[in-house]
Amino acid sequence: MRLVVRGLMAGAMLTALTLSICLHAQEFKIGSKEVQVHGFGTQGFIHTNGNNWLTMNTNGVGSGAFTDAGLNLGIQINSKLRIGGQVYDRKLGKLGDWHPLLDWATLDYRPKPWLGFRGGKVKTVLGLFTDTQDMDFANTFALLPQSIYPIDLRDSTIAHLGGDIYGQQKLPHHLGTVVYTAYGGHRSDSMHSGYPYLLSSFGIQLTSLGGPVFGGDFRWRTPVRGLVVGVSRMNEQIKGIGISTIGPGGAPITPPTSYEEHSKHDWTNQYYGQYTANRWHAESEYRRYVRDQMIANGAQESLVDVRGWYVSGGFRVCKWFEAGSYYSHYRNASALGINPNGTVATDFAARDFDKVLAGKVTVNQYMTVKVEGHFMSGFANQPYPNGFYSTVNPNGFVNNTNALVVRTGFSF
Amino acid sequence: MKKLFCAFLLVASASIFTAQAKAQVIVIANPSVKTTEISKNDLKDVFTGAVTALPGGGSVVPILLKAGTVHEEFLQAYIGKNDTAYRAGWRSLVFSGQASMPKSLETDAAVVEFVAHNTGAIGYIGKASPHEGVKVLAVR
Repeated sequence: MRLVVRGLMAGAMLTALTLSICLHAQEFKIGSKEVQVHGFGTQGFIHTNGNNWLTMNTNGVGSGAFTDAGLNLGIQINSKLRIGGQVYDRKLGKLGDWHPLLDWATLDYRPKPWLGFRGGKVKTVLGLFTDTQDMDFANTFALLPQSIYPIDLRDSTIAHLGGDIYGQQKLPHHLGTVVYTAYGGHRSDSMHSGYPYLLSSFGIQLTSLGGPVFGGDFRWRTPVRGLVVGVSRMNEQIKGIGISTIGPGGAPITPPTSYEEHSKHDWTNQYYGQYTANRWHAESEYRRYVRDQMIANGAQESLVDVRGWYVSGGFRVCKWFEAGSYYSHYRNASALGINPNGTVATDFAARDFDKVLAGKVTVNQYMTVKVEGHFMSGFANQPYPNGFYSTVNPNGFVNNTNALVVRTGFSF
Repeated sequence: MKKLFCAFLLVASASIFTAQAKAQVIVIANPSVKTTEISKNDLKDVFTGAVTALPGGGSVVPILLKAGTVHEEFLQAYIGKNDTAYRAGWRSLVFSGQASMPKSLETDAAVVEFVAHNTGAIGYIGKASPHEGVKVLAVR
């Protein structure tokens, strides 16, 4: 434990050093245009006393395999046109595995406040935080509510290759402002994300996972100062292709056979509200995710029907300290009753109820340190993952898991 | 007891005078900005990246002060956030591909100079600072 603490302190010092170097390299010019350079990074540590969590060996001493970073370049061509891009990389237990991704790269043209266009690889707007979930410095919590923002499944909602139409319009009679985004494109998951990792435990190695996606977001900044409410919808047609190396009963298949799965239905509805006032903020979201997938080359149907919601709040006690708490409620309604292997699922196998207490220290405008406690009931893990994987819990699951999460981050 | 009461009065009076002395920020804009006044809500929208144009005022580009009393007072009065939270909000927009970070300048004079020579620029300075070549927007 002492070694881990020392490691974290060394990491924090290294971060501060990197920061001081980076701060001198924020801008350069191409011709007459200024290119802005920004970046962020975090280092986390998780210790649990129940199940191993988020593909890490968090039980016992704990795990520090919880790192991510992003580097961003952007040019404002004129007041209406902007181009930019961002590279993102992470190591989250067995996920990410230091395979850098093009997080987004867009050309953004906004001729009118009520009409703008974005094209390229674009961050997907879905609820309050999908597009900003990596920005640890901006959130009160080290881990956002996992019922809505599962960090292991980040890739499945984070971005699409395609385009957005967006804008905002003030309403007459001081009724506030409406903000809209409509999008369409193609989603493509990393092979180092949660679902491919889950399938690997069944001997299936995916080589591609993705498909067409379209949807929209509509939010209303109400006349009540600080109150925003909104709704998002996302439709997808997801196809996974790969090979299968293990047959029924666990017997190895030689040579491996091809594997395919595809969506019958795949959609998400999300409803949300946020209120901010002075030192307070409060949020709540509800997400229903239905994923009806024909798996095993069409031989079997797998239905996932997730109903997740959370209520969160935070209070800035002083300039450098903020306290927060949330309750996150995840239930896979389709997993209640019969498991895919024919056994009756317990309620714990279909749920994850997470009570969280958190503290955030803002060291300066570039650096934060967060500490939070999670008190979880349940270990929802199949047929779609939510933080708990049998691969890192080979002896089975226990019903309850408590976790200590420490995360430090910088941005410039 | 009397001394304590006097001390309290002194501190209270000093606080009031300090608060009055602090109300010294003015909002300035390039002459190309087609408006002479701006609402508090519009000002907040412009300086938080929510909008890039003013109703009837055309495209605008916010210019910030890096630090200092005027900057802190502006954030307190019109944005409702401290500097750290404010810049974190902008970084969220930058890292999600929705905006570029606004230019931050060291002094009032630099802000006036930049605003005066760049179409659509809008900034804030101390009331006592010279501001030739820019227009002052009344905040409603």
